[in-house]
Amino acid sequence: MPKSVSYGHLSRYLSKDFELKTDGSKYVDASEILKGGFSRLLDVIEAAHVIANNFSHFDQSVLLKGIHVFIFSPNDELQYGVDESYKLLIPANGNPVYAHLEAQTIYGALHGLQTFSQLCHFNFTTRAIEVHQVPWTIIDQPRFSYRGLLIDTSRHYQPLPMIKKVIDSMAYAKLNVLHWHIVDSQSFPLEIPSYPKLWDGAYSISERYTMADAAEIVSYAQQRGINVLAEIDVPGHAVSWGTGYPSLWPSKDCQEPLDVSNEFTFKVIDGILSDFSKIFKFRFIHLGGDEVDTSCWRKTPHTRNWLQKNGLNESEAYQYFVLRAQKIALSHGYEIINWEETFNNFGNKLSRKTVVHNWLGGGVAERVVAAGLRCIVSNQDKWYLHYLDTTWQEFYMNEPLTNIKNPIQQGLVIGGEVCMWGEYIDGSDIEQTIWPRAAAAAERLWTAYDNLAKDPRQVTGRLAHFRCLLNQRGVAAAPLAGPGRVAPAEPGSCYKQ
Amino acid sequence: MAAEFTRTNPKSLITTIYAFSVILCALGGSRTLRLNSESELDDSDSLVYLWPLPSEFTFGNDTLSIDPDLSLAVAGSGGSSAIVRDAFERYRSIIFKHSTRFSKLKLWGKPVYDVSKLRIIVHSDNEELQLGTDESYSLFVVKNDDHSIIGVATIEANSVYGALRGLETFSQLCAFDYETKTVKVYKAPWHIQDKPRFEYRGLLLDTSRHYEPIDVIKQIIESMSYAKLNVLHWHIIDEESFPLEVPTYPNLWKGAYTKWERYTVEDAYEIVNFAKMRGINVMAEIDIPGHAESWGAGYPDLWPSPTCREPLDVSNNFTFDVVSGILTDMRKIFPFGLFHLGGDEVNTDCWNSTPHVKQWLQDRNMTTKEAYQYFVLRAQEIAISKNWTPVNWEETFNAFASNLNPQTVVHNWLGAGVCPKAVAKGYRCIFSNQGVWYLDHLDIPWDGVYNAEPLEGIKDASEQQLVLGGEVCIWGERVDASNVQQTIWPRAAAAAERLWSNREATSGVNTTLTALPRLQYFRCLLTRRGVPAAPVANFYARSAPVGPGSCYEQ
Repeated sequence: MPKSVSYGHLSRYLSKDFELKTDGSKYVDASEILKGGFSRLLDVIEAAHVIANNFSHFDQSVLLKGIHVFIFSPNDELQYGVDESYKLLIPANGNPVYAHLEAQTIYGALHGLQTFSQLCHFNFTTRAIEVHQVPWTIIDQPRFSYRGLLIDTSRHYQPLPMIKKVIDSMAYAKLNVLHWHIVDSQSFPLEIPSYPKLWDGAYSISERYTMADAAEIVSYAQQRGINVLAEIDVPGHAVSWGTGYPSLWPSKDCQEPLDVSNEFTFKVIDGILSDFSKIFKFRFIHLGGDEVDTSCWRKTPHTRNWLQKNGLNESEAYQYFVLRAQKIALSHGYEIINWEETFNNFGNKLSRKTVVHNWLGGGVAERVVAAGLRCIVSNQDKWYLHYLDTTWQEFYMNEPLTNIKNPIQQGLVIGGEVCMWGEYIDGSDIEQTIWPRAAAAAERLWTAYDNLAKDPRQVTGRLAHFRCLLNQRGVAAAPLAGPGRVAPAEPGSCYKQ
Repeated sequence: MAAEFTRTNPKSLITTIYAFSVILCALGGSRTLRLNSESELDDSDSLVYLWPLPSEFTFGNDTLSIDPDLSLAVAGSGGSSAIVRDAFERYRSIIFKHSTRFSKLKLWGKPVYDVSKLRIIVHSDNEELQLGTDESYSLFVVKNDDHSIIGVATIEANSVYGALRGLETFSQLCAFDYETKTVKVYKAPWHIQDKPRFEYRGLLLDTSRHYEPIDVIKQIIESMSYAKLNVLHWHIIDEESFPLEVPTYPNLWKGAYTKWERYTVEDAYEIVNFAKMRGINVMAEIDIPGHAESWGAGYPDLWPSPTCREPLDVSNNFTFDVVSGILTDMRKIFPFGLFHLGGDEVNTDCWNSTPHVKQWLQDRNMTTKEAYQYFVLRAQEIAISKNWTPVNWEETFNAFASNLNPQTVVHNWLGAGVCPKAVAKGYRCIFSNQGVWYLDHLDIPWDGVYNAEPLEGIKDASEQQLVLGGEVCIWGERVDASNVQQTIWPRAAAAAERLWSNREATSGVNTTLTALPRLQYFRCLLTRRGVPAAPVANFYARSAPVGPGSCYEQ
């Protein structure tokens, strides 16, 4: 729900040659982001049904001639914290009538176009696109700057069209960060030019992404106002790195975590982040750091010797690894995100530029912000999508600021993220496992707290409509009734299931 | 250029040059996709990753690179068709899905690709799509030799629809090489002569139990073309909802679930045209008299009574006026020669229990079974009068076989052994045995679908001719936009190969070796094209992958 909404009781129709007007806008659209957004707007509203050819029977005064978009900033850099606010007016009168969309940035304008698309309905009598309840005045901005979705391309490879479809659907729900968990223990699908054998750790020759593919994904996402957060999950989730470079393993029989004693390990991390910095322009990089079982460091003679020589115990070595990886990331100009175990173990040692990514459970964000660090909320009991028994209602009600009262501390919670881990997810079931539950979280992250429903039952109808809208746009969003990814229980209307 | 290729038999041009040997699905060989230290395809693998398998093909040992600026050259009187041009553009974006911007072959200034041109020769400019339209094609991908400067890929077909099938096969020969960042064709030279085994290769889609949005129907049609299926059997209407606009009886679509879950006439045209551009016929169905309760939402007179609503009121002439009106309107939309009149699962209790219908039966001295026959035959006459060949579910044949119109195509579903009976009586038949080809039955594994043989039990060659083909059915009770595609794929592809490829090629003793790896490869190809096809090897269809792993092994 937008921040503020008012509407009337008239109807207007989109004219056959509904147009984009940008007179007076300071933004020149050199990369055609606005043009692309407008053309996608027409695509989604026309996808549902065939529009009539003949508009001559319409009174000109009921036709919307186009949308006039004013963007105040000429800058089209997409970055964390970019102004995403917009103001959308659909007046009843004018000569001719134009909708007005104002935004500080192109990315606010894209959100405005998404909202506009949701006001458009096919009228089965006139065979035209109708906007009900004109005049509209909508003033809108997100509650949190970070509204993320994690996808995991290591447990299962996701083909490029699948990733693009996920990005498209994220834009419909106004999510703005695709957290790309690229690599994990099971496979290393991405090309790293500095260390060209790393992607030997892919599942197969064709389950891989070239650097050009990754750049394509980043650019595709940017066109839709979505940042891409890349992750390498070190040192604990990285067995696949050693397929190409076995010396990254403590030993052939004990392959994880990465060999902390080997300088080559950090050279590889540096090489990866150096390659990353050329394509992943988001301010943050995710360095993982979760679930580190250090027993291989103890069991392997040369790492054990190294620990002894440096007077480190295993947990100190874990800290040493994470902090050294952080320094490498900082040297490439990134700020760092780490999973919460790093904070839980040595929070006061972490770089002050660290954002702590919660996942284990509730109550972490309050400790993180009390320590003065920033936090992203993803508590697994509510926001892990592969847990099919977590209902959309639970997704909706999960409040990132629970128990955080101090406004300064509240400001340190930069947002939240729903996670689509890939153990049981491939190209065949990713969309219906993500949607509609991710949309419930998306409203929690976008909508002003006072506008959020206190009881999820108040949302059911609207969310069901959004789910059917996703279906209409070709996204395989699952029924609301029942657990995640459930098949419809029986014949019936999309709007009631 | 066109004059050079005026002969009508696509075989003529090249078979004279190359001798073809039928290669029955090459056996064995290690998997080619594993990433070994060389990161190269293992050329020793003799498995051919094409789906469905072409009827005749040979291949060699060359690797050819394909120019990312691959151009189209057309010839023949049908070569300039928009259907060919649009399909070429679609397949170009499929073939060059990965960026070739950093192609290593481009680094040395002038790029050197083995194949820069795709030649498509289409002999006929007749674009009518019907049952029996010629879908044969030949495809040659050869390296440049002493006689020509550049290598060429050539597709030759009699009809534009054959050319579409050839383009699909060509796209399956193309693979992105991650090392050189170029698209390659391995195992060239390829010489392929292909044609379908059955002329009817269908998929049923049910938009009554759940509405399927237009975009989803288009995605399904697009994916059908990848498996060379050619008939979308659109089970538009059933008891639960009536989503289609019928201008002659404008209250009918009041039986839709909601005002949003409807198709306009223009939407239906759009679907038919979208399908035609991909060589797919759309066969519409109205399932009468037994599956039509939703008709009465707009016209309650069609029910025997408000409390006993099915089957349609056989005693009321208005019923047949409506059937005729629907067929008149639909005839304008659906050019396909077959029309499905349903006729299954007719429970005639309401006819007996409703006084005015019972009276009507008594006046005519008819049993309810005779009234069922009367209804079906009268509907058949209406269809035939509109120049349609009627298709009916098998109950009509089982109940009053010899009275059916001789043109009738019997659509099997209840079990095995029906087509043999139907063709023995001279009727044509479509095979959809629910035990093997009902996709909503999630406990039928891929090989259950694959090993089903439409000609089972039919020895006589002239009787075999009467089996038009087969159809897999995705009934919609528990299927909506969220899960329809993964319930269809990959199992529909198993049936698609059965229906397209030679019987000998698909009937090997060890399909786990000859078909399974290829089907897994095809399933991954579908996901790479954005089609959410489910894992092949799971026992229950549509279930999630069992754990982390490669697409090619799940």
